[in-house]
Order: sequence, then structure tokens, then C-alpha cells
Amino acid sequence: MKRKLIAAIGVAAMLGVSACGSDSDDSGDNGSGGGDKTLTVWVMDGSAPDEWVTELNKEFESANEGVTVKIQEQQWNGIQEKITTSLSEDTPPDVIELGNTQTAGYAVTGGLADLTDMKADLGYDSWIEGMVSSTEIDGKLFAAPWYAANRAVIYDKSIFEEAGVEPPTTREEWLDGLKKIEKETDAQPLYLPGQSWYIYAGFLWDEGGDLAVQDGDQWKGSLATPEGEAAMNFYKELAAYTNAPTDIDESTPQQSTDIIPKGDVASWIGLGWEAGGAQAAIEEAGGEADFGYFPIPGKSADQPGHVFFGGSNLAVSERSQNKELAQEWLKLATSEKWMKKYAEATGGALLPNSEAAQVTPEPGSFAEAMVKAADVGRITPVTPGWANVETDPNPIKQYMTNVLNGSDPEKAGKDADTTITERINQG
Amino acid sequence: MTVQTEGVTPVAEEPPPRDPAPGPAEPSPRPRRSLPSGWLPYVLIGPAVVALAVFLGYPLIRNVIVSLQQLGRIEMISRTTVWTGLGNYTELLQDDMFWTVVARTFVFMAVNVVLIMVFGTLIGLLLNRLGKKMRMVLSISLVLAWAMPIVASATVFRWLFDTQFGVMNWVMRSLGFEGYDQHNWFDTGFSTLAIVTLLIVWASVPFVALNMYAGLTTISGELYEAARMDGASNARIFRSVVFPMLKPFFLITTFLEIIWVFKAFAQIYALNAGGPNRESETLPVFAYVEGMSQMQFGVAAAASVLTILLLMIAMSFYFRLILKQEDEQ
Amino acid sequence: MSHPTTLAGPAGAPDAVTPKNGGTPGRDAARAKRRKTLRGIWPNVLALVLAALFIFPVYWMFSTSFKPATEVLTKTPTFFFSPTFEHYGTATEVDLFWTFVRNSVLVTVGAVALALVVALAASFAIVRMRFKGRKGLVLAVMMAQMAPWEVMVIVMYLIARDAEVLNSIGFLTLIYFVMVLPFTIWTLRGFIAAVPKELEEAAMIDGCSRTQAFMKVIFPLLAPGLMSTSLFGFITAWNEFAMVLVLNKDPEAYTLPLWLTQFQSAFGNDWGATMAASSLFALPVLLLFIFLQRRAVGGLSAGAVKG
Repeated sequence: MKRKLIAAIGVAAMLGVSACGSDSDDSGDNGSGGGDKTLTVWVMDGSAPDEWVTELNKEFESANEGVTVKIQEQQWNGIQEKITTSLSEDTPPDVIELGNTQTAGYAVTGGLADLTDMKADLGYDSWIEGMVSSTEIDGKLFAAPWYAANRAVIYDKSIFEEAGVEPPTTREEWLDGLKKIEKETDAQPLYLPGQSWYIYAGFLWDEGGDLAVQDGDQWKGSLATPEGEAAMNFYKELAAYTNAPTDIDESTPQQSTDIIPKGDVASWIGLGWEAGGAQAAIEEAGGEADFGYFPIPGKSADQPGHVFFGGSNLAVSERSQNKELAQEWLKLATSEKWMKKYAEATGGALLPNSEAAQVTPEPGSFAEAMVKAADVGRITPVTPGWANVETDPNPIKQYMTNVLNGSDPEKAGKDADTTITERINQG
Repeated sequence: MTVQTEGVTPVAEEPPPRDPAPGPAEPSPRPRRSLPSGWLPYVLIGPAVVALAVFLGYPLIRNVIVSLQQLGRIEMISRTTVWTGLGNYTELLQDDMFWTVVARTFVFMAVNVVLIMVFGTLIGLLLNRLGKKMRMVLSISLVLAWAMPIVASATVFRWLFDTQFGVMNWVMRSLGFEGYDQHNWFDTGFSTLAIVTLLIVWASVPFVALNMYAGLTTISGELYEAARMDGASNARIFRSVVFPMLKPFFLITTFLEIIWVFKAFAQIYALNAGGPNRESETLPVFAYVEGMSQMQFGVAAAASVLTILLLMIAMSFYFRLILKQEDEQ
Repeated sequence: MSHPTTLAGPAGAPDAVTPKNGGTPGRDAARAKRRKTLRGIWPNVLALVLAALFIFPVYWMFSTSFKPATEVLTKTPTFFFSPTFEHYGTATEVDLFWTFVRNSVLVTVGAVALALVVALAASFAIVRMRFKGRKGLVLAVMMAQMAPWEVMVIVMYLIARDAEVLNSIGFLTLIYFVMVLPFTIWTLRGFIAAVPKELEEAAMIDGCSRTQAFMKVIFPLLAPGLMSTSLFGFITAWNEFAMVLVLNKDPEAYTLPLWLTQFQSAFGNDWGATMAASSLFALPVLLLFIFLQRRAVGGLSAGAVKG
């Protein structure tokens, strides 16, 4: 599920810093009379580090007298229904955080304010390319990118050492290493549950394929293609080194906190916050984590494997009662200055929206491995119907399970494509 | 307690009707039965009728209206109305899966209701037999099972049958069975539904068992005594004493269980989201997947209308039965 | 609303009903004793096994709420561990926790009380009076139990939005009231019918007005019925999630079910906190049951009603 990615907040979460904005500013609720205004901002649970958002609001409030910013943290449960319904209200939240794979779905509804005129103001030209695509539809800008993150391989240094394996840079080296680990140690070489479909998407992009392609003004699923099959074959080769079930994704049970801390896993693929979560859990149990990180290897050594770019955008709601203020806030929050602070607050584990705002990751950190692959970060097809494809039961996940359990990739791919095509064109 | 039994028993079948029942249709002229009618009953039922009309009737009508519209994210947010006529209905009815799902739902429901009623009844009979202490132990565990919130019970059941860490796999291994190192209990639609059934039966039996027991306590001990004197076996006593006395209880409880199992959603969705390959979807899950989860609210509404219609057809004989009781009263 | 909440219905207090016949209990007991000595073992063994089976998931919930996070999911289940209260802290230290508690109590109690009053009036009319449309009403009440509340969330939302009653505890209370009303009417109707008409008539012969007869004779006898019925309403309203999620987006207007699921988040699921919250959440239901059971028994013994 995409939500796991959107929230990829890295270090802040790793350290157990929970972002709770909602308690701070409840006083100014009634933003009506006397020039006093309240700006309501919806952020997802864990997206905005506490300190960062408090300071940001302080600056904003002192620049705009009589304005109170109210941050409301949203729970993941049922968030889609909540956003859809609230955008239809007369007093919606003024600024909303939207997952990058979901933004297009809301952009076409008319519920988001058109920010095209603010491009220059927002620093459009400095935004990282991979993050921009999700904010635009039909040449119009509906959101500003906020942050993004991608996966990397996390490995247990001691197990790799025991087997005499070095971090690989190509797929062959990767597979060889896994084989060696299996032979030389008792550990599980790679924890890879069968439904990690963002990882599969990366392999698919490596092959030059995609999850769905445009076909006239419609879209259609494209798993039943040579690329789709090749990608799945590679996934299957990797899965030969795992004990993970084929019918679950990385969150059921949560790989970072329920699997890895039990030990004996040589490597796994995850996000910054997962690495942090696993580390914290191991330490809590009295152990010591010694993790190393490398980008998912690509087909050749000169380019790492493609990765899914999970992240979030900030948008202003069209019916906002304080549209201008909301735009101001959004501008400030996504400005280079505050994005830099954001990157710092999250220890570099999240990519801010521009290169200028990036902090240089520490050597040997997750961030370092992540940034290496960020250039080849991509997102799911940018079309309003994509959000439908991801909902459970996710056809891509089912396809993966079926192939891993021995179904014919062609046939399983066709079944999945039918569902994808049906859902993606359903605005 | 009471609720069902105490309430229902007398309503339906007081062995000798106290008064000859008034004609089914029209108020009887007898003063005793019809007391002062006129405006009073209408005042008494007024609030209920108004509340049901405003908060249930009106929304239901709007639901039917919505089922004739295309109401998705776009229409919702832009507040536009797009009529599609019967489009949502044909979309559902033409789905290859629809009738499979309907058939599966009915089978699933039948199996669950039978299991619930049988086990509920047996445990109710057992409760009646137990000593006071043991009865307390069993009732408390039943009540606890029933007070557990679904978030927790679904999660726990998911854990119990988890592939990697499931308690069931551990139990099987400990008992010396082979192949339970990473056995996947949710491998097929059938096995998934079997576990869902376990969850639903587990959660529903307390309701039936406790009410059954309450009902049994209303049966006079002399009746058993008499039957036993006549040399009746236990099975015979159940059939000719207990069952007839508690017939209304069985009728109503089965009625409620049918509705509740038919509408069960959270358990199925929480355990395996209707998978694998959508093989464990029942009607409510199907409706959710096709409608709500993809924000096709019109489709969701149409699915709910179809569900109600199917349920009503299936239950029509029940309505007749219960209305007949009304007449007999 | 979900299945189990509904199911959770009025499983009533088992001891609520006194044996119909004053004379038999003694003989019953004697016979039970005799039976017990003869073959009293197997029912007890069976009961123990069943009790264990039914309680196991509950036990697992409770025990997980005290387990250190690393011991929640293990290949070999842990039955013994050093308990931690940390999860209860996590669960209750949530912002606005007490606001949620207050809202939940208000909504639940409000809905149940309203439903009892309205249902009492309606079911009395249904049972004891003849009027045009009576059968129609019975049918409507019966069918109302099939209402697809889960799907009607969107329609309810549209209605609430147009009426500008979003984020309103009052509106939520009214919805829950109507959710539990059909069942409440249905069961109370049975309870009222169980009160012999003669009692009421006797009171009226003694010079009571109809209202007095109702208040003095019927009402006290209905007390247990009212209580057990209220349990169903309580659980339904207490557990409702889908409606409040969409209708009340202001944290000030949240109820506890929203709190219950928030420990499953993007950063992984805090199972310990989820189970701790679930245990706390189930507690009022349990207490209410125990309380009602005692009351209900007392209430009934007040009258040799059934005789």
C-alpha cells in the first residue's frame, strides 16, 4: 500500500519522534471575527516533524498577524474517504498533504486550487524532476512536491562478512552473494515477501516496461508483456532465497519490527524509517544492529536499479476560505529554506523537493544509499484512475503471488491487466 | 436473558391463547383488546415513526437515488449530479463474478447460521445442565468473547493463523504434524472462508447460547419431569418439549443471524481482503471492492439496493411467518 | 457498524429469568445432583474445554497488551513474559483522549436512552393497542434491521453536509439512536407482551389510570428487559466507526473507535498499543454486562410475573 511510502519519514520516526501538531494551536479555533483567521493544515500521521512544523508556523504567524495555523494530523485509516468528502465541503482544510500517487486523482476533481500562476513563486524550476510529474496534470500545476523517498537494500554487516560477501552493484553479483550466504551461513539470505509490488515495479522499469501504458486516451495494464514477465522472473530468482510467504506484503507482518529484529535475516529491502524502526526494535531487545545499505542493483554496474519514488505533495483546496493565506503557507513550507530544515530534521532520509535543499548524507547511512538511486526514481502512472488500481485487492499483488506459486505469467498477467485496465479508466 | 426468549415466547405461542384472537385485519370491537384506540397509539408510535422515516427512510430513498447516479470523487467534490439510469445496476449484474458471489454468499450464510444455531443451542443446553460455578465460568468466557472489539478479534485470528508466527502452526508442529512449518491457512478461498466461519461462529455463538439458556430457564421443570416419566429420551424431550416452547426464540434468532451473517463484512475483509484471487468475497465485500474502495459511490449504493432485495426475497417466508404470529396474537 | 457489534446484541444475563414455577427448583436441584454424581463429569469437562476455546482469543488480546513489542509475534508463542504497562501508556496518552471518551459516552448513552424511551412508547402501542397500520409498522421495524448502514455512510454524509451538521455530536447521537431503534422496539415488544395483561387490567380496576397502570405495574416489570435491550444499543453505538469517520473530521468530535485503530499507522502497527486500547475499549461493555446481569435478576425477582 502506498501509504507506507508516503509516510517515509526516516530519522524522525526512527528516533521515535512523533509529530503531534494538533495539541498546540487549538485555541484559535473560531477563525471568523475580528480579522483573526485560522489556517487548517492536514498532514499525515508522522509526516511533519514536530519541531520543524512548530517553528515554521511561528515564522508564518509572525509574518501574518492575526493568523493561527492549526495542524491536524490525519490517521491513515479511511483517509481517502475523508479527503474526498472534506474537499466537497464549504470549509475544507486549507492545505492538504496528498500522496504522490493520489494527487492526480484529486487534481481532476476541481477540489484542488490551480497553482499554475504561482509556478515562479514556488520555485517550480528548482524542483527535482522525478517529483514534479505527480503534481501536474494537463499542463496545470495542482500541488507542490514536499518530500520523497525510495527503497534500498538493508543488510546485516556481520552476516555478509561471515559469508565473505561484498555489497553488489549488479544483479549477477547480487544473486551470487545471496547464493553464497545461503551456503555459508544459517541466515535467510533475503527477506522478500511475495507482494512487495513497488520492488517489482522497479524491476519492471529496469526492463523498460511499466505497470500500465497509455492507449489512445485510455490506459491499459501491461503486466502480460515480455518486460512484465522478465521482471517477474528476476523477482522469482530472488525469492528463491527467502522464507517469506508469497501472499503477503512487507507490512503484514511489519518486516521492520516483526521480522528483522528476530535475527537471522541477512538482507531486506526497505525505506529509511523501516531501517530505523528495525534498529530501534533490536536495541530495545538488548541487541545491536549493524546495518549496511546499498542501492538495489541494476542490470549493469553503471546504474542502480529503478526504484519507486514514494512521497507527498502539498495542495491548497479550491474551496478554502483563506486561499491566499493557504498558498502563502504552502509557499513557505516548500521553500528552499524550510525544505532544507526539513531535510535536516529527517536526517537526510527523506528527499526534499529541490537539490539545493538536500543535505549531504553521512557516509554509510541509509540516506547515502537511497540518494544514489534517487536519479532513477519513478512513480506509478500519473493518471486520476491510478488510485483505484492500488486499492485492495490489488491486482498487481495478486499477480505476483500467483506467478510465485507457479501460475503461468502470461495468464496471470492477463487477468491482472484486465482488472488494472478496468480500474484505471474509472476516473 | 430474557431478551429474546422471555420476550418472544409469550408473544407467539401461549399455548392456549388468552383471548380468542381478534380478526386478523380489523380491530376487534371488544373493549378489552382494543382499549381506547383513536389517537393514543399514533401519539405513542409517532416519535419512532418520525425517527425511522427521517433517519432511515429518507436516507434509504436517497440511497436509491444515488444508485441511479454516477457519484465518484469528481462528482462528489464538484457537487455535480450525473444520472446514469440503471447503469450501475447493469454494471454489477453483468459482472461475471456477481452471481458466483451471490451463490457463495448464500452458501456461506447457510453454513454459518446452521453452525451458529446448532452450537449455540447445544451450549445453551449445556449451560442449563451445569452447576452454578461451572455455568458462571462458561458464561463469562462467552461474554468476554462477545465483548471483544472487532479490530482486536480480527487481528488475533489473523495472528493465530499467520503463516510465519501463527499459534495454530505451532500447535500443529507441537502435536507432531508434518508440514506446518510455514503452512498457509489462507491459501485458498475455501480455507479462508473456513477461518472466517470460525471467527464468525465464535463471535456469534455466545448470543445464541446465552439466550437459549435464558429461554430454557423459563420452561417449567415439571414439563421435563412429565416427559421423563413418560420415558422420553433426551432427544425426544428436546424435540417435543423444548423445541416447541422455544420455537419463537429459534425463529427470531435465526432471522437475526441470517441478517447479520449476510451482512458480515469486517471479518472477511480483515482476514484476507476477500482473497486469494477474490475467492472469499461475499456480497458485502464484493460491493465494497467494486464500490466504496474505488469511490464509486453510485455503484456501492446500487449494490446495497441489490443486497437488500436479495435478502428480502430470501427472507420473505420469514416475514410471512412472523406476520402470521402477529395475527395470532 | 460491523457484524459482531450487532451480534453482540442482547446476549442477556443468563440468570435473569427465574424459573417459571415456584415449586420446582428444589426438586430440579435434587435431580441435578443425582445426575451429577452419575455422569456429572463430562458436562463439566466439556464446559471447561469450551470456556477455554471461547476465551482464548480474548486472553491473547489481554496478554499481548502486556507483552514487550518484540514478543508479540514469535515463532513459538510466548506464554510467560515480564509484563509491561507501556502500551497502556501509549494508548491513553494520545492527545484529546479524554475528549474522545467524553464524546463516546455522550453519544452512546444519548442514543441508548433516546431509543429506550421512543421504543417503549412504540412497542407498548404495538403490543397493547389495535390501530390502522400496526402490521405495516411491525413489518417496517423488522425490515429496518436490514438497513445497510455501512453503505449509507455516504448518503448520510451528503445529508449532514447539506444540513450543516457535520462535526456534530448531536447528529451522530441521532443516527446511532435510529440504528438501534428497530432492534430495541423489536425486543421491548416481546418484553411487554410477556407482562400479563391481567396485571394491568387489575390495576385499572383498582382505579389506576392507564398511565398510572403503565408506570406502576408494567414499567417496573420491564426494568430487566430495558436493561438487557440497552446492552445491544450500547455495543452498537460504542463500536460504530464508519459514520463518525466521515461525519466528524474535527478531532474535537472524534469518538473512541477512531482512537482504537490509530495505532496501526504508516510506521508499522503498534500491536501492543492496539491490544491495550482494545482491552480498555471492551472493558465498559464487560462492566455493563456484569452490572446489568445483577440488576436484571433483582428486577425480575420483584414479581412473580411469569406465573
